[in-house]
Amino acid sequence: MGKKVTAAAQQKAATALAEAMSSIDGVNAAVDTRTSGTQDRHTVSATSTPESWRALAEALAAEQGVDYCSMITGIHWPDAADKTWEVVYHLMRTCVRDPASIQGVIQPNITDANNVEGADVPLEIQISIALPDTREPAVASVQDIWVGADWNEKETWDLVGIDFNGHEGMRRVLNPHETPVGYHPLQKQHKLRYHGFEEMYDDVQGYLRKPADAGKLK
Amino acid sequence: MAEMWISMGPQHPMTHGLWTLKIKVDGETVVDTEPDLGYIHRGVEKICEARDFTQITTYCDRLCYASANTWSHSYIYAAEDLLGVEVPERAEYIRLIAVEIQRIASHLMWLGAYGPDIGNLSIMVWCLREREMMMDLLQELGGSRMHYNFPRVGGVKRDLPHGFAQRARAKLKLFLNRIQEYESLFDESTVFLVRSQGVGYAKPEEMINHGVSGPNIRAAGVDYDVRWAHPYSVYSELDWQPSVERSSIKGADCYDRYRIRVEEMRMSASMVLQAIDKIPGGAETYHEPGDPKILAKAPSRAPEGATGSHHFEDSRGESMFYLAGGGEGRGKMPYRVSIRSPMFITIPYAAKCMIGYKVADIPAIMGSFDPCIGETDR
Repeated sequence: MGKKVTAAAQQKAATALAEAMSSIDGVNAAVDTRTSGTQDRHTVSATSTPESWRALAEALAAEQGVDYCSMITGIHWPDAADKTWEVVYHLMRTCVRDPASIQGVIQPNITDANNVEGADVPLEIQISIALPDTREPAVASVQDIWVGADWNEKETWDLVGIDFNGHEGMRRVLNPHETPVGYHPLQKQHKLRYHGFEEMYDDVQGYLRKPADAGKLK
Repeated sequence: MAEMWISMGPQHPMTHGLWTLKIKVDGETVVDTEPDLGYIHRGVEKICEARDFTQITTYCDRLCYASANTWSHSYIYAAEDLLGVEVPERAEYIRLIAVEIQRIASHLMWLGAYGPDIGNLSIMVWCLREREMMMDLLQELGGSRMHYNFPRVGGVKRDLPHGFAQRARAKLKLFLNRIQEYESLFDESTVFLVRSQGVGYAKPEEMINHGVSGPNIRAAGVDYDVRWAHPYSVYSELDWQPSVERSSIKGADCYDRYRIRVEEMRMSASMVLQAIDKIPGGAETYHEPGDPKILAKAPSRAPEGATGSHHFEDSRGESMFYLAGGGEGRGKMPYRVSIRSPMFITIPYAAKCMIGYKVADIPAIMGSFDPCIGETDR
């Protein structure tokens, strides 16, 4: 058998982390089992209030060894009952350490993956923060905790329009710099029409468009 | 001498794509940098919200032309998590073969582009020759040269064709021999060594904090790899170790990042050879497209509230998809598709790495991180 973190170790570590996270006010964490392909993975899935997010992030980085911010996703839910905006953080505990050196020669860190335990188990953490209906959605920035969050936050603001309080150097990164203020293309009022595959190949110019589509962009 | 800003790009030999690197120089020394991206932003995430789950695969192929298969597989795993599909084991092996051959092709493309960056043109011709062998193999699987559209939700498009195993073995063995020629071409070239050694140091903990992963971090003496840390596919059935480079105490330099990719190509070739031997049902058996042995039935609609996510070891680092279900057409399309591009996060870090070095070191440092602007700008 090859190198692999066992499902049992992963589940145990995820349970411990979920319990530690749940002890913070406003945070609700549980172990989540995700199936991709043929393998099950045990991850930590949590919700947090916007007020507790900063405290949660600091605790994760300082006490739980969460060292990697993978992705930040902003979602616009104009029609949902319980939220209008959502920010989803995907963090990871990678357990990467600088390798030690003996007499100036680096000794590479080789993990015995099949036998890792406790805080040495790499984990995935998903934290979702729901925001109420507001014209200026914002959560606390974690740019100073994980530098990897820096450009993720810039992108989330640029595309979805969710701001990050305390973020330094916010600017457009994917849209042109001269994009009008307040234009964030991934908000749901900007609509795209579904193209069936027949239409995409047989009617590229859109001559057969239905009257109902008049005025909509192809 | 007064400091001044210079704009390198959007068209510049250093950029490997379309983007601008603004550098502030004091004489010949770089004192500050600022990357400016977004020149080829196509809005893939938005387009995917108006496409059904099968159509999205083709867009994911086009995220990176040098590594199409890894991106479409990265999406497919997240989609399978969202739709709740169990994949046949044979399909997982075929996917692994496709992804690892693609990884070799992508690293060869990188090596071929990195040679001219630092003054060795012949390496480009050699690498593209070998890449052609890999592309031929992928073409047998997917049917086209660059954008294969190979995986399907629940399996793969086609089984391994007749004779594929034999041709793959022969080509990979030839490749494993020839890779030694590249090493001698690089490692015995004084120009290459002088320009790549001792520049662009990067340390593992700092890189992880900056969100850098993949070969770039393994070059610095740690073995973190999504393929074992967050296991997916059938990698655990194979005998393999992530390649790790013994860097200097200052961290990984450009030379280490070159070494790690050569070692990774060896490891990927060995994985493909093992997978061909171990594939359930045998590599010479052929199933028609749509056979349950290679393609499981999958629902076409995702319920509201369901989410799917998957971390994937891309050729350039950890890529990721996050899908929220319940979009238009009663869930036929996703509500939101979010893509993590490893290079989008790595390019700002690579730009920081250059500070303190000379202007002439910029192509060597930037090229060594393997930038790909297609996936960066999405």
